[in-house]
Amino acid sequence: MTTKQLVYMKGTKEGLVLMLDDQCGYSELVSALKGKLMEDRFDEQIEVQISTGNRFCDGEQMKELLNVVQESLHVRVSKVKSDVITIEESNQRILESQSSTYVGIVRSGQKIKSEGDLVVIGDVNPNARVEAGGSIFVLGRLKGIAHAGVNGNRDTVIGASWLEATHLMIADVMEIMTNEKKELSETPEMECAYLLADGNIAIKRLQELRVIRPNLSTFKGGS
Amino acid sequence: MGEAIVITSGKGGVGKTTTTANLGTALALQGKRVCLIDTDIGLRNLDVILGLENRIIYDLVDTVEGRCKVHQALVKDKRFEDLLFLLPAAQTADKHAVNPQQMKELVTGLKQQFDYVLIDCPAGIEQGYRNAVAGADRAIVVTTPEISAVRDADRIIGLLEQEEMEAPKLIINRIRPHLMSRGETMDVNEITTHLSLDLIGIIPDDDRVITSSNKGEPIVMEPDTQAAKAYRNIVRRVMGESVPLMSLDREKQGVFAKFKALFAK
Repeated sequence: MTTKQLVYMKGTKEGLVLMLDDQCGYSELVSALKGKLMEDRFDEQIEVQISTGNRFCDGEQMKELLNVVQESLHVRVSKVKSDVITIEESNQRILESQSSTYVGIVRSGQKIKSEGDLVVIGDVNPNARVEAGGSIFVLGRLKGIAHAGVNGNRDTVIGASWLEATHLMIADVMEIMTNEKKELSETPEMECAYLLADGNIAIKRLQELRVIRPNLSTFKGGS
Repeated sequence: MGEAIVITSGKGGVGKTTTTANLGTALALQGKRVCLIDTDIGLRNLDVILGLENRIIYDLVDTVEGRCKVHQALVKDKRFEDLLFLLPAAQTADKHAVNPQQMKELVTGLKQQFDYVLIDCPAGIEQGYRNAVAGADRAIVVTTPEISAVRDADRIIGLLEQEEMEAPKLIINRIRPHLMSRGETMDVNEITTHLSLDLIGIIPDDDRVITSSNKGEPIVMEPDTQAAKAYRNIVRRVMGESVPLMSLDREKQGVFAKFKALFAK
């Protein structure tokens, strides 16, 4: 019986992938990896991806694996792929993909927060704050402070029937809507704010969202 | 059993105390038994506006701490036969001398004896506000057409909505029709849509409100003034009547303008 190779290199469309066995013990894997990298010598600097399959590695282990791979001078890791995540991460992802709806007026001093998308049916008054891990949509007047993508998602948007917010924040970018910034918003009706690639917040008509953020649509089918 | 109404605003100086005094007096004029409670402990004013300052013997804190019976602390307004009473605030203590639970018990007791218990709330959203709101069945929010007052009203409405009481009603006080018609202050419609609250009355700004307060006679006692009419209308609405909103520009129209309007038709 031939012993199964614990570590092997595979060529794919996306480049070289270092496949790590997900059934053996962790220490076995590390020593196999060290051996493998000793025998393979690349002449020039190459980029590889690591695939850990169904093995779950915690933060420390992942760091060690990366160190071992990168100690071999000519290899740079571009990406780590794993087929498993923890229940915690999975729950967080479910929360972030859900949309919550608030019906009512968010008044001065009040704060509404959602892990995923947030839909407010009613007004957001000045000095009120709405926050969401995803995008924010206000069916009504948004006159307070809105922060979309609080966990750092830069693809989120803020849309409102009447976009007159005093402060708009998307991920870590903040825009103060002062009177001088007329170009941001000429008519505040039916608009949405989104993040440009250069890190500035821009405002466009809500109808253009289809082009700006096509991935926001989760609807399937239709004719 | 009576009803307890708290009069609040968030911002100071918009006319809570004046409104409380006038609504109370107007209710008494309608023959209702009314008790006014001043909860602004340390900065009491309601007694002055009602002209009852020098008749105070015991106060709210004395009552709550059991130094006197409730009826001993009530100051009777002699202008109204057994109809209007004031429970004054203490001037020497502060807001922490009373807690919401004690206020609730006090108001519940007073509701047995009176048709209406009006609670004058101090400015702010701290202990004094929580005390004032504790025993109330409903709330009236007073604001003026200034943006700062409307902002604070919005905050206070948000807090009131978390209490177990029906939706608060709105009074817009100190309206200056000439500024409003020129669009230099928020107009009535703008304020009500912004706060999305039912309006229970609007009161035009009137110098006589100040002079009458200084005399210790609430303005409703001078029935020919616009402010008095406005307060009387509010009281009728509080009692459940439906009274149309008063028109603000009528008084400003002189005889000539009326003639002009007549011929313009």
